[in-house]
Amino acid sequence: MRSTADSYLRRFDWRRAALVSGLLAPGLLVLVLALLVPFAMMTMMSFEDRYPNATAMTLAHYVSFLQDSYFVGIAVRTFLLAIVVTAITAVLGYPVAWYLARSHSRWKHIVFVGVISPLLVSIVVRTIGWTIILGNEGLVNNLLLGIGIVDEPIRLMDSFWSVTVGMVHVLLPFMVLSIAAVLGKIDPAYGEAAYTLGATPIRTFLKVTLPLSIQGIAAGSVIVFCLTIGSYITPIWLGRGHVTVLAIAIYDQMVTLVDWPMGATASMILTLGTLAVLLTYGLVTRRLAQR
Amino acid sequence: MSSTHHSSGRLLSIYVALIVLFLALPVLIVIPSAFSNDVTLAFPPRGISLKWFANVFRSSEFTDAFLVSASVATLAATISMVIGTLAAIALVRYRPPGREAFLLLFLTPLIFPAIVLAAALSMVLGSLGLLRTFTGLVLAHVLVTLPYVVRTVVSTLSEIDVALEEAAFTLGANRWRSFTHVTLPLLRPGLLAAATFALIISFDEFTISLFLVGPGLKTLPLEIYNYTDANIDPTIAAISTILLCITLVGIVMIEKLAGLGKQFT
Repeated sequence: MRSTADSYLRRFDWRRAALVSGLLAPGLLVLVLALLVPFAMMTMMSFEDRYPNATAMTLAHYVSFLQDSYFVGIAVRTFLLAIVVTAITAVLGYPVAWYLARSHSRWKHIVFVGVISPLLVSIVVRTIGWTIILGNEGLVNNLLLGIGIVDEPIRLMDSFWSVTVGMVHVLLPFMVLSIAAVLGKIDPAYGEAAYTLGATPIRTFLKVTLPLSIQGIAAGSVIVFCLTIGSYITPIWLGRGHVTVLAIAIYDQMVTLVDWPMGATASMILTLGTLAVLLTYGLVTRRLAQR
Repeated sequence: MSSTHHSSGRLLSIYVALIVLFLALPVLIVIPSAFSNDVTLAFPPRGISLKWFANVFRSSEFTDAFLVSASVATLAATISMVIGTLAAIALVRYRPPGREAFLLLFLTPLIFPAIVLAAALSMVLGSLGLLRTFTGLVLAHVLVTLPYVVRTVVSTLSEIDVALEEAAFTLGANRWRSFTHVTLPLLRPGLLAAATFALIISFDEFTISLFLVGPGLKTLPLEIYNYTDANIDPTIAAISTILLCITLVGIVMIEKLAGLGKQFT
């Protein structure tokens, strides 16, 4: 059945080739115009000695980026934020993923909607929500004052930690869904077998389930890490100039200082960092799959 | 054995409830705060009033920005829908060589850091003289909404059996008629879901717009961000509540039309 259905659309002829090209052309035009050309232009600019009217290709912008303690400090802070956010989402998210993959509870659908809720609402709603919770007169400070732990409001907003909380909030869904996808494919019989053979629940988890689900953790970590190092909105809304990450530095170079070559170089370094993480992940999983 | 299983199951349920609370609280907390009678954005709110909703509509800043956002979103979503659906049909139905690579290319704007797209795009639009223009803004929004359209339409189209269309063809309908009378009606829920997605994504877009907007041309999220630079009062909670209601309608539509779960797996 399948083959006859396919053959109806699969026969090669010139009319069909022209039709396919025609269907794809408008989409590809947008991608070329708004993605490939801009990216090529930015790559060129990061290697040109001056802008405009370049005379030679050079690595000078990269060298000055790496020698500037301002940029290096920002890169380190961005990297640190990504590691912290990745670790927290993995630890917090694992049990939730377990629940989504294994539970038969009638609450499961509600939990699923709750888990993806940060992805469904506007960035504006999310950050204003955190402002209400973490602000000087917000929920947390009023709770602490009410219990008597503190005498005056403590500053929770505009710090590395408020940015971390905001990032964990919006990226936790990606981690949970990645782990749940892998956990859902593991036969519960493996764990039950180990348990029946006398392993304690903790030992069963550490020796059987965790190693089997490591792929989900890895996939989730890669997504969360890459999204964190490229994040702009959460650091700017919840950091308010106190937490400068790479993306904010790029905005400053491009828009505030109008130093396009330096902005291009910082963008390239961010892109290369993201690609390096993705490629390493791709190679490692391919190697593991071959074993 | 069953008792330890039971208690650890209960512990897990409590933990999951706490995490769901952590995820949903920042979203839900804006609603009570919007009805506060206080001048500061405090929680718990003091008193009840609707004055902050009135405040949203008092100055023209927010309504102007809403109109900019709505027209950019409508235009960008429409363009995205047309070109994205055509591309999806080509990729799913005609399986051209390099299909996987094309699909990946269409999804690339999702993987790229938005700030890099923004920086690169602003350079090109700057050289073309399109920086701070409506046209430039719409082009950028087509780029960011396109992946969502392609992904949703590709997944819906893949589930429609080609044999149905072939049956119509065999029974004497021409190629165009079999597509419009058989496949298109089956595709309609997927198309509506994709359009809703595109509208929401465009309406919420922040980073790229930030590079491309200018005086007299500001989208709603940017206008709200600017407002919070100077004022932190319940006006922003009121506007968040309004946005939340708009998004909720869209999400319920996607859930009814195409299933929410499928968009995230």
